[in-house]
Amino acid sequence: MNDPIAFVAGLKLLGAGLAMLGAIGAGVGVGLAAAGGVQAMGRNPDAAPIIQTNMILGMAFAEAVAIYALAVALIIIFAA
Amino acid sequence: MSVTESVVKKRIPVKRWIILGLIALGAYAAFFGPSLLKPISPVVVLPPEPTGLTIFGFEITNTILATLIADILLILMAIGAYRFVKRGNLVPGGFYNAFETIVEFLWNSVEGSAGKWARRIFVIPATIFLLIFTANIVKLVPGFESIGRIKQVEEGTGYAPVKLLSIGSLNILSIDKGQPVKVQELESEGEASQTFEAETGLCTACEVVPFLRGSATDLNFTFALAVIAVVMTQVFGVWAFGLPYFEKFFQLRQLVSGGLFGLINFAVGLLEVILEFAKILSFGFRLFGNIFAGALLLSIVGALTAVAVPPFLYLFEVFFGIIQAYVFFLLATVFISGATVSHHGEEHH
Repeated sequence: MNDPIAFVAGLKLLGAGLAMLGAIGAGVGVGLAAAGGVQAMGRNPDAAPIIQTNMILGMAFAEAVAIYALAVALIIIFAA
Repeated sequence: MSVTESVVKKRIPVKRWIILGLIALGAYAAFFGPSLLKPISPVVVLPPEPTGLTIFGFEITNTILATLIADILLILMAIGAYRFVKRGNLVPGGFYNAFETIVEFLWNSVEGSAGKWARRIFVIPATIFLLIFTANIVKLVPGFESIGRIKQVEEGTGYAPVKLLSIGSLNILSIDKGQPVKVQELESEGEASQTFEAETGLCTACEVVPFLRGSATDLNFTFALAVIAVVMTQVFGVWAFGLPYFEKFFQLRQLVSGGLFGLINFAVGLLEVILEFAKILSFGFRLFGNIFAGALLLSIVGALTAVAVPPFLYLFEVFFGIIQAYVFFLLATVFISGATVSHHGEEHH
C-alpha cells in the first residue's frame, strides 16, 4: 500500500483471476449437456446423429458463458 | 506354381524416420540447442496491430490482411465450384465432393429450421459459416502470428535482435531468447515506436509484431458478423410481415386491452429489444473468446513445451474452429427462421 501503482496492478491481476471463477458454472453446464446427450444416445441409438448435433449445440451454448467470464478477465487486464 | 503366389515388395519405412527426425530436431532446438532457436515468449495483445500499410489514409491491421486472404480463398473456391457445375459432371470428386457435403449439410440444417423460407434464408448464414470456417482454418498455417516486424518493447521484457541474413536491402532478423533485456516502464508517452521504418533504428529490446493474425481474434470482425446476423433477422421479419413485424416489440394492443396481463406482455415486448442487443453481444463474444483463447493457448503452450503437446493443440484448434463456425451458423439460422414465423397464432402470407 506504500506504492499505489503496484498495488493497483496487483489487484487488477487478482480481479482477473477471480473473474475466471465463472468457468465453474460453465464446466457443470457442459457436463450436464454431455450427460443428457449420452443418455439419450444410449436409449435410442438410431437417433444418434441428430442427438449428437443437438448435444454439440447445447455444449457450445454452455461454453459461451465461460467465454463471457474470459472476456471480463481480459477487459480487466488490458482495458482497465 | 500356385497362381496365388504374390510378389512381396519390400517397403522401406521412410516416413516414420522423417517424422522422428523432425521431432528430435525440435527437441534439440528447444532444449539443448543454441538459444537462437528457442521458442519465444508470446506477446499478448488484445487489439490488432497495424502493419504499417495505409490505403487512402486508412490503416491496415494484421487481422484485415488475414481476412483478405480468407476472402480470396473463398472466392477461388466459389469460382472453382461454379466452373465444376458448368462442366456438367454429376459426380464430383475430391475437393468438390467435400464442398458438396458441406453445402448439403448446411442446406439440411436450414431447411429443418425454416421450411418454406429456406431458399431465401440459406444464403446469409451459409456465407457466414464459410467465411468463419475458412478464417479459422487459415489461421493455423505456420507463419501466422510468428512472422512480422520487430518493434521496441515499451515495458517488460524484450529480446535482443539477431541478424539472420539479408536479401538485397531487406534484413531478416530473429530475436534471441537467450538474451532478455528488461525495459523500464516509461512515465512519458513520447515514444513513437510504431514507425514503419523499424529496421533503420534497430531496437535494443525487441518483440515481434506479426504481419498476419487470425481474423476472428479481432473483435471488429466478430461484432461485424454479429450485427449483420441480427440486422438480417429484422430484415427477414419485415419481409415476411411488413411493418407490423415491429409490433413484436411494442405490443400496444396488449397494453390497451389486456389489463394486468396486457401490461406484463407489453413489458415482455420491450424486453425483446434488449434481447436483440444481447444476441449481438453473445454472438460476438462467443466467437472472439473461443478463437482468441485458442490462439493464446497455442502460443503459450508452444513456448512452454515445444515438442510433444502443440500438435494435439492444433487438432483441438481445428475442431473448435469448425464448431464455432457451425454454432454461429445454426444460431443465425434459428433466429432468422424465428423471425419469419408468426406469433400468437396469426397467420400472414
